[in-house]
Amino acid sequence: MLKVLFAIITGLVGAALLHLVIILALPYFSEKDAYTRVLAEGSRHTFYRLPDVRDRAGLMQDDPFMEVSVCAYDISQGPIRVYAQGKVPFWSLAIFDAASNEVFSINDRTSAAGILDMVLATPAQLTLLRKALPEPIDQSILVETQQADGYVVLRTMVPQGSFAPGASAFLSEAICAPFEWRQSQQL
Amino acid sequence: MFRVPFLVAIALAIAFGGGIWSTLRALEATTGFGAIRLGPWEAFPNAQTAEADPYAKSHRASAGALLYASAEGLQFTATVDSAGATLRGDCTYRISGHTPPARLWTLYTDGAAASSRVRGQDLPVALNSRSILRKADGTFDIEISAEAKPANWLAIRPDGRFRLKLTLLDTPAAGSSGLIDLSMPSIQKTGCGDA
Repeated sequence: MLKVLFAIITGLVGAALLHLVIILALPYFSEKDAYTRVLAEGSRHTFYRLPDVRDRAGLMQDDPFMEVSVCAYDISQGPIRVYAQGKVPFWSLAIFDAASNEVFSINDRTSAAGILDMVLATPAQLTLLRKALPEPIDQSILVETQQADGYVVLRTMVPQGSFAPGASAFLSEAICAPFEWRQSQQL
Repeated sequence: MFRVPFLVAIALAIAFGGGIWSTLRALEATTGFGAIRLGPWEAFPNAQTAEADPYAKSHRASAGALLYASAEGLQFTATVDSAGATLRGDCTYRISGHTPPARLWTLYTDGAAASSRVRGQDLPVALNSRSILRKADGTFDIEISAEAKPANWLAIRPDGRFRLKLTLLDTPAAGSSGLIDLSMPSIQKTGCGDA
């Protein structure tokens, strides 16, 4: 009888250990995390509009008044520029790393003139960029990130149906792409 | 002679069964620690950051949702009313009061009794701060019901449970330093069934 009790206690201790191991390890093995889903939307450096119903990648815009676009990035070869502008009542942008930790976030009131113009680079790339800032990006917000890959989420609000065309134009014209950043150095 | 393998089998069954069950329960039940609770409303302002606890990180890795970053907003969820009873589709509720300071907010329902979100459907399945009718002092009353109501009406389906999601956009509450007075609207049950 004592042995059965001992076996049960051993089992409970094992269960507690396993619980901790799964909780701590899950973020590294999950196939359902946001970054994997954003990657499944398609190629990197392109904004994808999310549909109202859950898509093949498992992402959707669940708030009826928010329009959402996502873009996966990899800046190991060069920085990317995120740019969008348009007449929308609200927009916000969040940059997450591959582990879905927030790197940077901004909204239309915290940006200059309500225009989204941002360069995302690694510390080494930023050092090079700052030496000679190419003209197209001399007004951009420079954001530094340690991790080379992750994803960008761009949201805008459609409080009434009449705002939908503006929101569509804003999101479809948004870019999230690499740019010519070494040009000025070769001159 | 089979006693030792039997004991080992018991220990292993409890370890694996209990470990996996408790993990699934924990991931389902909670988004992690560090919640702001204001009456029935609950929000996790740090769930998307690197400082999130292991439970929050594990939950967000398995849920795979796109979370609101701190400059974007803060999403509050309510599964119970102000009296602590679960929100049900066959009851009617009244949300009254005002939200914490925020530039804009949206309110929608989620769950079995939530009206499916299909564009072109005429039912008001979601409300926002621009479309809502307010009283002279800026507060508002929202009726949540499967039946049509005058003024601010949020439509639900008459069966099952539902959750309320209130998203504050561009709000100082997201970076809460504890200096702002956060007061959320109350959710009062006004009736159940056909009565």
